[in-house]
Amino acid sequence: MEIIKIIGVGFITLIVTIMLKQYRKEFAFLAILMGGAIILFLSLDTLTGIIDFVRSLNENYNNAFISILLKITGISILTEYAVSICKDSGESSIANKIDFGGKIIVISMSIPVISTALESLTKLLP
Amino acid sequence: MDVNLLFKIAGIGIIVAVLHQILSKAGREDQAMMTTLAGMIIVLTIVIKEISELFQTVRTVFNL
Repeated sequence: MEIIKIIGVGFITLIVTIMLKQYRKEFAFLAILMGGAIILFLSLDTLTGIIDFVRSLNENYNNAFISILLKITGISILTEYAVSICKDSGESSIANKIDFGGKIIVISMSIPVISTALESLTKLLP
Repeated sequence: MDVNLLFKIAGIGIIVAVLHQILSKAGREDQAMMTTLAGMIIVLTIVIKEISELFQTVRTVFNL
């Protein structure tokens, strides 16, 4: 029952954060960071199964875009991790900057995909 | 990568907060600041170790 563990860690992190917030805010932030990391770790185990399946798809279709897709997924997971923590502690401007950086990286990685799509489009058109 | 790390952080945080209160009440503001900074650095080293481990795992999983 993976979800029970995740919920448990989430609640423990919540309690620790609330407790620390009264005394020192910076320790609350560190507790959130650690709790988030633990939960991500727990969910990464199941995620690796999904990714192996996607990789096996890649074998018989040998499409280059699946590896790009996986990379973008990884980047967005990490970006979302950082953005939600920054928003949580009230610094939405930092969250927006991280979000902006993440989007730029994703767009830069998806350029080959876009160019291939455009080429195939122009071939289709008369 | 276990829950007791969370409890360790909570413990250090509470101890540092209490020490800060005691020292500031005893009139030693600078030492209070020093203990808070020391506690902060200890917790930071723990958290950074775990976060780098997490990023390393994500990197290997998605071969970023």
